Amino acid sequence: MIVSIEFLGMQRTMTGADSIEVPITKKSRVDDVLEYVRSNYPQLQLDEGMVLVTVNQEIAPRDRVLKPDDIISFLPFISGG
Amino acid sequence: MEILKQIRYKPARVAGGYTDRILRVDLGSGEINIEKLPPDFKTKYTGGRGYALKAIWDGTTGQTRYDSPENILAIASGPLGNEPGFPGTGKFIVGTISPMTDTFIDSNVGGHFGPLSKLAGFDALAVTGISKEEVVILIDGDTHTITIAAAPQYDKETNNGALSYGDRLLKEVNDGQYSDCLAAVSAGRGALHSRYGVIHSLYYDIRRHRIRAKQAGRGGTGTVMRAKGLKSIVVRSGLPKANGNNPVDKKGVRAAGRALKQVISKADPTQLHLSAWGTTILSEYMDKFHIFPVDNYQYGQSPDSVKLFAHVFLDNYFSHRIPDGCYYGCNLACAKGAEKVALTRGPAGGRKVSIDGPEYETVGAVACMGIFDPQYVMEYNWYCDEYGIDVISTGVTTAFFMECFERGYLSVDDIGYELKFGSIAAADRLLHEIAGGRGFGRVVGQGVARGKKWVAKKYAARNKASRDEVMAELNKFGMEVKGLEFSMYITKESLAQQGGYGFSLKGPQHDEAWLIFIDQVYQELPTLEDKAAALKWFPLIRTWFNATGLCKLHWIDVRNPEAAATDEPSKNLPTLAHYVDYLNATTGSHKNIQDILDDSERLYILQKLINLRQGKGTRASDQLPLRAMAPAFFNEYQSRADYYDRWLGQNGGIKKLPASPKQRHKLLIERRRRDYQQLCDAVYELKGFTPDGKPKRETVARFALLDEQAKRLLDEMGV
Repeated sequence: MIVSIEFLGMQRTMTGADSIEVPITKKSRVDDVLEYVRSNYPQLQLDEGMVLVTVNQEIAPRDRVLKPDDIISFLPFISGG
Repeated sequence: MEILKQIRYKPARVAGGYTDRILRVDLGSGEINIEKLPPDFKTKYTGGRGYALKAIWDGTTGQTRYDSPENILAIASGPLGNEPGFPGTGKFIVGTISPMTDTFIDSNVGGHFGPLSKLAGFDALAVTGISKEEVVILIDGDTHTITIAAAPQYDKETNNGALSYGDRLLKEVNDGQYSDCLAAVSAGRGALHSRYGVIHSLYYDIRRHRIRAKQAGRGGTGTVMRAKGLKSIVVRSGLPKANGNNPVDKKGVRAAGRALKQVISKADPTQLHLSAWGTTILSEYMDKFHIFPVDNYQYGQSPDSVKLFAHVFLDNYFSHRIPDGCYYGCNLACAKGAEKVALTRGPAGGRKVSIDGPEYETVGAVACMGIFDPQYVMEYNWYCDEYGIDVISTGVTTAFFMECFERGYLSVDDIGYELKFGSIAAADRLLHEIAGGRGFGRVVGQGVARGKKWVAKKYAARNKASRDEVMAELNKFGMEVKGLEFSMYITKESLAQQGGYGFSLKGPQHDEAWLIFIDQVYQELPTLEDKAAALKWFPLIRTWFNATGLCKLHWIDVRNPEAAATDEPSKNLPTLAHYVDYLNATTGSHKNIQDILDDSERLYILQKLINLRQGKGTRASDQLPLRAMAPAFFNEYQSRADYYDRWLGQNGGIKKLPASPKQRHKLLIERRRRDYQQLCDAVYELKGFTPDGKPKRETVARFALLDEQAKRLLDEMGV
């Protein structure tokens, strides 16, 4: 089972990738995937106050259990100029 | 330069952020007067938008139109503008009666003009009258003179260009040298021929070694300027910029500025990274969440949008590694620019030019026309700037007429050529026609509201149809409210932002409220009451920024990590606390956030009164085109049918969805219309308005605004 991590905006520049695939188990949660990304891309700042996590384009809590083929992205705060 | 009128004056010293002086210039009579403001004026009207509103309320009437001699072009900084120790203090306001909306419009713009005006002795300028010949105004804080002069004549190209003319003038008045002690505002040829002419804020960038431009872009402020016969205003002051406000507490100002700069330095590079990419970074996020206004706001996404994402401009156009703040001390520095871009189209084709931008709005405007070519974005950006026309209104109006053509309301006979979505050739041709007042550009230069009437008349006559029925159809997709075109965000899926545009007093521009992500994506406003509360709070706090001479981006687009631990993270209160500290240190006040919200509410109610007087202040004026609330036509519904059906299932209040897609589309429209009316009721109640959207007498009285004019107006309105 895998999920996709989609890198947006400056994350793409920092990681050099549009997206990556991450293996999961039936019990994997958003936090587990975050940990995977942190360890592979320490340059990304993914603290709670810095980004929101979306799963399939909806805001997701960090303890949400993931399903195969979920698409996860990290969204900066956008509030309009 | 031929001097027509000149006075000598003693510039007032800035103290605690204010000079307490307004410069009044009547271009009809040639009179130049300096008005000393009473001590309580700043207490009541704060500055910036507040000063412009008060000038318009007192100096114009319900019959005043943009080209009336008594109309006032007000340009005002605010008490917190002009401080390099705090980021984002180059903003100033241009306010007037708009040629688009016939009511008060203001547009905030960055650069050096506001700070230098204050150093030259003025909190605000108010220009009235109409000059018989084209003139410029020179405010010289160094030689202590204020001059009305005949507008210098150069070659034809320079004379017509808003950028070129201002650039040349800034050099001429300073012995052929650029200097950051001078700044100008200017309007161009496009402002003579369209209702959406802009005013440029021109300043010398010591890093790029050239004049740069920001725009007071919305609502036709440049059209008002040229209607007065005014081509440019130049201001000069050689006074030191550091501590230019002579704050009451210099250490406090430095501490507040340091604290905010630290937040920006830490958080921006890991969030939107505006300091590197400017606002073009927004295109990708808008596209991802169906908010990018493709094909006149029909579709929120396109497979071609990636061609307009930020990395394209960063890799191919933007100059790298240059701090691009529009005023000293800004470490967000989002004012990106490009050098030596070769133009491939139009009368300047073949030239290499410097381009300030594009901003997100310019990119969105081009996508709105169905065009996804970054080179065209750059050229559209430059031509709009040089002609002095609003990139937003130009793009949205063009897109409206493209849709009229594609839906059969107009033909080649009406336009002169095929005007289709995605046609660069047609869009480019039309752009030059608008600026030159030629061909079909004469129609498009009037904007969407007037354009709808023109199309309805023509189509109804040709097809022996009812003009009202045609208008009803055009109202579904003519993207304007109160006469102003929408800025570049699709609101269909955010009820809160539908209110953000519909209730916005100037028309649908996002600087009053931008709640799409908070509502649609972050889901922080789940109930009608939450949305209504946000539609009161955000416009007030944003009004305060426009009254004080500050840029909002540092607060609104860089989330302070400490906000996550607060009850309402989207308000970013830990950052706002630095602003309150800065205010108190500058002026010596002892205010808290509620105090500044109250100050702003007074200005908000005053603006509402002006709208009421000008015929744009009731519930009817807050109504949206259908496309702002729902998929207006079946093709839009079909493009996201699964999503809309799911939405109906969750929000439609029905047990079973109708069988046919067309029935589901119809039901969706009914539900969305109902929701918006419920939002109107909730917001009016919270703001102290009647159900018809008029301010209640006690609301006006609460802010000490019930003067004789207000009493008469409310009497007439039956309030």
